[in-house]
Amino acid sequence: MDEEKVSELVSSALNEKIEPVDILEKGLISGMQEVASLFARKEYYVPEVLLCSEAFYAGFDILKPLIGKSSRKPKARIVFGVVEGDIHDIGKNIVKVMMEAAGYEVVDLGRDVPVEDFIKAVDKERPDILALSSLMTTTMTLMADILKELEKRNLRRGLKVIVGGAPVNEEFAASIKADGYSPDGPSAVRLIEKLLSG
Amino acid sequence: MVCADHGAYLLNLKFKEVAEDGEKLAHVLQYTYELYGYDMVLVFSDPYVEAQALGCPVELDPYPALIGSATVHSVDRTEEIIHAADILRSSIDVPIFVSIKGPFTLAAFLDGIEHYLKIVLKKETEASQLLQEALQYQLGYLERILSVGVNIMIGDPLASSSVISPAIFLKYAFTGLKTMVAKAKTSGAIVGVHICGDVGAISEYLDDLDADILSIEGINIRTETLKMGGVGTDTILNGDLKCMRSEVENAFKNEFIILSTACDVPPHTEPANIKAMLRFARECGREYGVQK
Repeated sequence: MDEEKVSELVSSALNEKIEPVDILEKGLISGMQEVASLFARKEYYVPEVLLCSEAFYAGFDILKPLIGKSSRKPKARIVFGVVEGDIHDIGKNIVKVMMEAAGYEVVDLGRDVPVEDFIKAVDKERPDILALSSLMTTTMTLMADILKELEKRNLRRGLKVIVGGAPVNEEFAASIKADGYSPDGPSAVRLIEKLLSG
Repeated sequence: MVCADHGAYLLNLKFKEVAEDGEKLAHVLQYTYELYGYDMVLVFSDPYVEAQALGCPVELDPYPALIGSATVHSVDRTEEIIHAADILRSSIDVPIFVSIKGPFTLAAFLDGIEHYLKIVLKKETEASQLLQEALQYQLGYLERILSVGVNIMIGDPLASSSVISPAIFLKYAFTGLKTMVAKAKTSGAIVGVHICGDVGAISEYLDDLDADILSIEGINIRTETLKMGGVGTDTILNGDLKCMRSEVENAFKNEFIILSTACDVPPHTEPANIKAMLRFARECGREYGVQK
């Protein structure tokens, strides 16, 4: 949870000529996967995960420019955002770091994202997964609008759509014809792996 | 819990005008009380009244959103809340409860939620100081609310085990909540504590808050304190009557004697769904020997 320490350790490992991709995978990602396990076992909670995420990104930001695109191919690409009218993004940020730690490339659209911006991002990025987050019952209905618009623009085929957030559940996901629902980061990663394995 | 946003929606009023005007707030809450005929009224517009009074920017149109941590510019709606409570106390013959934030949640709003959740681990002195400031403000607000002779529902959603560990709950949230409960009870008010989300990890501490009512989500949680809740907000929204009936029965079996939704009724909920819940509540109440 100590971002300064993580930065020091990453810099030290680089000085010892350890490959950046190894530092990332065997150090940072391995650490974040342990954080995800601790969160799933209810030994870590949101404050702990937030601090660990901060530490992860402190190290990741040092390594990112040193890791060529060919050195580490992401498992899949995910477009992720909080729907329009909703500015709660702590949950999305926690899930995002777990997705990245699991080896996925995440295109983060941020919060309060209009339907049209999701559509444009899917069209541009051609992700494998679209992940939608909402913490409010007043905004979760926009998830259905996004799915309908994807169908209308012929962008739905081949795309897996997952949803999450406090008011969302399995029944809601099924009702809007999403491909899955997850209540937290570790289960989101498991769901994505299941969906992508066919 | 039917709140002002549902009433505003039914009456085709902008939420912002209801949230900023005590008379309109009382009007929509009275309207929904008369429409549904439940047994207590909660004076609640949005979670950010106190945060806004202490300088947090809050958007109220179309629905409430906290858009930043505390600055110098404040908008104080607390007098409108108290005015609404006073009107309803005179005009409605069921217990009136005013919703007030727990100090942990308020401190997080003032500091920025994400930042506060980090400093509870990294900068404990700073986190504790903010908590004390929030508590002091709430004790003053509580006194003003109690002066109109109503009851209190303290909502502390960020104190839930969905967010913080039991250790952080005990270190930061517990004492402030207990202090507020004690103060409210000295006036003779009925005092409820509402913590939505998962409370399993802190269930052993909940009775020690000494509240009269615990409004919680976990149907299997065992407490000595009277429990309120039982019906999921997703159930009331989607109107699955079979599921709703089952949840109501389970609630009575698990001693949730005050039947309610686990959290606020979503504003666009169909009135027929809420009426169904009331109907099931009365039927099951008779079956389980619980009188109105």
